[in-house]
Amino acid sequence: MTLSMTLPQTGFRRYTSALSLTAWIAVIVTAVVVLVSVLAPSLAPYDPDYVDLDNVLAGPSAQHLLGTDALGRDLLSRLMFGGRTSLLGPTLVVLGSAVLGLLLGLAAGWSDGWLGKILGRVFDILFAFPALLVSMLAVALFGKGLVAPIIAMTIAYVPYVARLTQGLVASERARPYVQAYRVLGFRTPWVVLGRVLPNLIPTVGAQSALNFGYVLADLAALSFIGLGVQPPTSDWGAMIEESRGALLGGYILPAFWPALVVVIVVVAVNVIGEEISDRIGGKLS
Amino acid sequence: MSHLLEVQDFTLGFAGRDPLLDKVSLHVDDGEAVALVGESGSGKSLTTRAALGLLPERTQHSGLVSVRGLNTLTASRQQLLELRRQRASMIFQDPRAGINPVRTVGDFLTETLVRWRGLSRAEATERAVTQLEQVGLRRAKDLVNQYPHQLSGGMLQRVMIAAALLDSPELLLCDEPTTALDVTTQAGIVRLLRDEQQARGMGMLFITHDLNLAASLCERVYVLRRGKVVEHGRTREVFVNPQQDYTRQLVGATPTIDLDRVPAPPAPTEEAPLLEVSGLSKRYELAHGEVITALDDAAFALPRGGSLGVVGESGSGKSTLARLVVALETASNGELRLDGKERPARPLRATERKLLARDVQIVFQDPYLSLDPRIPVGHAVADVFRLHRKQSRKAATDSARELLERVGIGPERFGAKPRALSGGQRQRVALAKALAAQPRLLVLDEATSALDVSVQAQVLELVEELRDQLGLTILFVTHDLAVVSRICSQVLVMHQGRIVEQGPTAEVLAAPADGYTRNLIGSRPRPLWDAEPAAL
Amino acid sequence: MTAVDVKPSPDSPGPGGAGGPDGNGGPGVPGASGNARKRKGASRRLSFVLVKLGSLLLTLFVASLAVFFSRFLVPGDPARFLLRGRSPKPEALAEITRQYGLDKPPWEQYVNWLGGILHGDWGRSLTYRQDVSEVLLNRLPTTLQLVALAAVFITLLGLLAGIIASLNKGFGDKFILITLTAAGAVPPFVAAIGLVAVFSVNLGWFPSFGSGDGVWDRIWHLTLPALALGVTYIAFVARVTRSSMNEQLIREHVEVATSRGLTRSSVVVRHVLRNALGPILTVSGVLIAGLLVSSAIIEQTFGLTGIGQLLVQSIDRLDFGVVQAIVMVVVTAFVVVNTVVDLVQPLIDPRISAGSETR
Repeated sequence: MTLSMTLPQTGFRRYTSALSLTAWIAVIVTAVVVLVSVLAPSLAPYDPDYVDLDNVLAGPSAQHLLGTDALGRDLLSRLMFGGRTSLLGPTLVVLGSAVLGLLLGLAAGWSDGWLGKILGRVFDILFAFPALLVSMLAVALFGKGLVAPIIAMTIAYVPYVARLTQGLVASERARPYVQAYRVLGFRTPWVVLGRVLPNLIPTVGAQSALNFGYVLADLAALSFIGLGVQPPTSDWGAMIEESRGALLGGYILPAFWPALVVVIVVVAVNVIGEEISDRIGGKLS
Repeated sequence: MSHLLEVQDFTLGFAGRDPLLDKVSLHVDDGEAVALVGESGSGKSLTTRAALGLLPERTQHSGLVSVRGLNTLTASRQQLLELRRQRASMIFQDPRAGINPVRTVGDFLTETLVRWRGLSRAEATERAVTQLEQVGLRRAKDLVNQYPHQLSGGMLQRVMIAAALLDSPELLLCDEPTTALDVTTQAGIVRLLRDEQQARGMGMLFITHDLNLAASLCERVYVLRRGKVVEHGRTREVFVNPQQDYTRQLVGATPTIDLDRVPAPPAPTEEAPLLEVSGLSKRYELAHGEVITALDDAAFALPRGGSLGVVGESGSGKSTLARLVVALETASNGELRLDGKERPARPLRATERKLLARDVQIVFQDPYLSLDPRIPVGHAVADVFRLHRKQSRKAATDSARELLERVGIGPERFGAKPRALSGGQRQRVALAKALAAQPRLLVLDEATSALDVSVQAQVLELVEELRDQLGLTILFVTHDLAVVSRICSQVLVMHQGRIVEQGPTAEVLAAPADGYTRNLIGSRPRPLWDAEPAAL
Repeated sequence: MTAVDVKPSPDSPGPGGAGGPDGNGGPGVPGASGNARKRKGASRRLSFVLVKLGSLLLTLFVASLAVFFSRFLVPGDPARFLLRGRSPKPEALAEITRQYGLDKPPWEQYVNWLGGILHGDWGRSLTYRQDVSEVLLNRLPTTLQLVALAAVFITLLGLLAGIIASLNKGFGDKFILITLTAAGAVPPFVAAIGLVAVFSVNLGWFPSFGSGDGVWDRIWHLTLPALALGVTYIAFVARVTRSSMNEQLIREHVEVATSRGLTRSSVVVRHVLRNALGPILTVSGVLIAGLLVSSAIIEQTFGLTGIGQLLVQSIDRLDFGVVQAIVMVVVTAFVVVNTVVDLVQPLIDPRISAGSETR
C-alpha cells in the first residue's frame, strides 16, 4: 500500500515557503527517536530482558519511568532497545528499494526500445505481490525472524519506486532543458546521472519517507502475530502483542507506550514526506 | 448616463500587499466593442471576472463594478446567478481547459438550459444544435454527442461561443479567446465574434495582449499596466498617436509587417550553403498502426550568414524540421548537409554529437522548461565552456560571466537559479548557453513566442545584435509573419508537413504565390479603420 | 504568467495526440464519415479491453510460476521441506514423495499443480487432513464479509471526510487533515488493540473475539475488526479524495460552469466530484489488496476464522500447501481487482481508451 500514485510529479505549484514548524518538529522527533535507539546500550537504565517478578505491571515511578510489563521488565529500556529492531528493518527496506528502484526506473524511463518495455512488464508482475503477503511467504519458506521478510519487502517495494522513477524520467527526458544538454553535446550518462537523477531525488525521497511508515507498520504487524521478531528480543510490535493479556486485565501502559511510539514515528515520517513533496513544487515554479 | 458595464475606481488586492487592481475605471455601452489591452500581470483578467462577480478568495476590494445597474461586488448570490444566466456571458481563453473533458459537448451546452430554464433535454438539445450551426459548425447533430478531446481547438472555441450566446446575453466578456489558436483559426473566430456582436447589439469587452487584434475588433481601447489604466480612448487615436510612454513602447514593440525593414539577403557567393536539405521527410508510427507524416519532402538551402524564417501553424512540421536540423530526431528519408558534412541516417553517436554541437545550437520556446531548475544560471553556462573549450573551472566561470553580461544578464544574477529570473531573462540565459558552444548556425524554435510583447521585442533586438556581431546564421521557426519580416531575409512557408512556398522574405510577403500563404497573410488582424482590402 | 502560445506541447515528438491540430481541420472534423469513426472507436475500445485481459493472464501466469517455484529457493530436499516439523520417517518421506509427485522433474510438477488448481484440486492440507479447497472455502465467507464491511466503512467515511475537507477551507479542513494524519498513522493491529481496549474491555459495547452467528450478530461481531482494518485506509481514501477534489476545484472548467450561472451544488456534483473520481478509483485497487492482506492480522487478533487467520496458522504449522494456495488466491484477487479498475477507468474518463492518456 503506497501513495506513489498520488504523489505530485516534479511539477509546478505556486507554493514556496521555508521549512514549516510542523516539519521541524517532525524532523526533531525522528532524530531523537533514532538517536535514542542507536544509543540504547548506553542510555537505557536497565537490561531490557531483565525479569523482575516482584515488580510486575508497575505504574510509572522514579525507578521505572514508564512502568514495567507483565514480567517486570522495564518498559523504557524495552522501548529503547525495541527501537533498534523496529527501525532497522524499515531503514534497510527503504534504502534497498530506493536504490534498486531508482536504477531500474532510470533504465526503464530512458530507454526507447525493448529494455523499457520488458522492465515495465517486470514491474507489472512485481506489483501483483503486496509487501506484507510476500514477507509472510518468505517466513513460510525460510522460517520466522526478520531477515527473510526484510529481503522480501525490499523486493516488493522496488516496483513502486521504479514505476515512479520511470514516469519522472520519461517526462524529464521530454523537457527542453534535457534536450538542450543533448544538443550541447553532453554525454548521456552524465546527463542522466548528474543532471536528471538529482532532480528526481526529492520526489523519490518523499515517497520513500512515506514507505518507511508503511514498512514500519507492516514489520511491526508481522512481529505482532509472531512471525517476525522472536522473544525475548524487544520490538515494538512484539511488545504490543505481549501486553494483550495485561490489557484485558486493565493494565494499558505496556501496550500503550509502544503503540504511541509507533504512531508518533509514522506520523513524523509522513509529515516529513509531505513536506518534501510540497517543497518540490516550490523549487520548480 | 447609465452604461451597460460600469467600473469605477475599482481596487482589488490581498491585505498587506500591493494592489492587483488600482482605481480602475472603464465602461462599455450597448452595441459597442471595447478592448482591454495589457501584458501579463496587468490585471485585465481580474477586471473582467469582477464583472461576473468571480473574485478570487480572501481579497479586499473597493469601488464599483456594475452591470445594468447591479453592483456585482455587493450583489446577493441569487442576483449574481441571475446576472450570469441572463445578462452577461464570458468566453474563456483555453476551451480545452474550460469545457469539462469527461462530459459530452452536448451536456456542456444544455446543462444551463435544462437546469433552470426548465427545458426538457430534447428541447435543450435542439436549441443547442441550432446555436452550434449558427456559429459555423457543421453536422452539429453529431457534434453534441462527442467529447471535447475529439474536437480541434478552433471548433471547441466555437462551442464555447455558442454556449455563451445560448443565453442571449447583453454583455459579452472575452478573455483572450484566440490566444490559444492558430492565426488562420483566429481570423475566423474574430469574424464570428464581430458578426454576432453587431447582429445582437451586445456590448463586448475584449481582452487581449495583441494590439493589432484589439484594433481589428474594437472601437475603443483601455490600456492596462500593473493594475492601472494607463491610457484610453478611441482605438485609432491610441494606436496611431499614443500619449503615454508605455503605450508608445507597446505600440512600437508590436511586430508589424513592414516591407521596407526586411533585412537584405547576404551577397551571393561561390561557397556552399551552410545548411542544405533535400527530400527530407519524417514519419511517426503511432500506437494503433497509424502513420503520421510530420514532414514531407522538404528542400531548401541556407547560405552562410543568412537568416531563414520557417513559418507555419501547428501541425505544419516546422518544429519537426528544427529538431531534425539539430539531430534531436532522425529523418525517415532525404539528405541533410550541415557545413558540408552529411547527416547519417541513424541516431548520432556521442562523439558525433559533440562535434555537431560546434556547428548548430538551439533555443527552445518555453522559458520555464528550457533551463535546469537546480543549476544556477552562471554554472550552467560555465559547464558548456568547460565541455567545449576545455577551460578550467575559473576560466570557464569568467567566460560565462562575460557572455552573460553580453546578453544582458548582469553579474549579480550569475548565481541565481532560473526560478528567480523572468521569462525574458531565462531566454537570454538559454541564448548564452547556446552561444557558449560557438555554433555557426543558431536555431530558434519559437524562442520568443511565449514572451510578452515588449520583452519579445527586446530579445529579438538581442538576437539581431548577436547575429551581426558573431556572424551567425539563423534559422528562426515561428508562427508570426511579422517577426520573420523583421529578422529573416528568406522565408519558408509550411503547411501540413510540406513547404508550400519559399524565397526572399520581401518577395514572398509582397506577392505570395501560394493560396495558403495568401491566407496566412490575409488572416493577420487588420485595424477597423484600414479600409484597404487584404492583399490577394 | 506570460502568454500561452499557439503550439501544442513543443516537446512532444510528433504532432499532438488524438485531439488533432488546433486549426479548423484535423481528425475532429465532423465532415468525416461518422460511421467509419464509430467503428474505429469501437475496435480501439475492444483492443484496449483485450490488451488488459492479456496482461492479466500473463501476470497471473508468471505469479503462479513464482509462487510454485519459491519452494525451490530453500536449500535441501523438497520432500523434507514439506514435512518440516513432522516425523521424517523414511516410509513417510517415500509416501509424500510419491503422493506429491516430488520425484518428477520440476516442470512436470508445476504443470500438474497448475492443472490441479484450474480443476479445483488444490492439494491436501497436512494440518487438517482435508482438501485445501474445502478448508479455504469454509473460511472464505468470513474474510469476504470482513473485507466488505471494512470497504463500506472506508467508502462512506473516507469519501465523506475527503469531500467535506475539500469544500470547507479553513478550520474544517485543517481539523480533518490533522485527524486524518493521525488516523492514517495507526497500523491496523494498533487500532485493533485500541478499539478493543476502549469499546470492548472498557465500555463492553462490542465483542472482542469470534465471528458470531446470524446476520446481525455477525455484523456486530465484525464491527470492531472492520473498523480496525479500515482506519488506515479511511484516512488514505479521505486524503486522496480531498486532494483530487482540490485539484478539480481550481480547474478552469469549474470556473466556466460557475460563470454560466450554475449553482454551487450543481457545479460541485457535475464538475468537481465527477472529475475527481478518476484518481480515487485508481487507488482503490491498491486499497483492496491492502485490505485482503491486512485482514490476516485482524483475523488473527480477533480470532475470526477467515482465510487470513488460516494463512498465519499454516505458516506457524509449516503447512506449505495451504500457504501456497492462499498466496495464489490473494494475488489473483488483487490482480483481478486492479484489472477491473483499469477497465472501468474509460467509463469515467473517455479520453483514456481513445489512446491519449493525458489527464
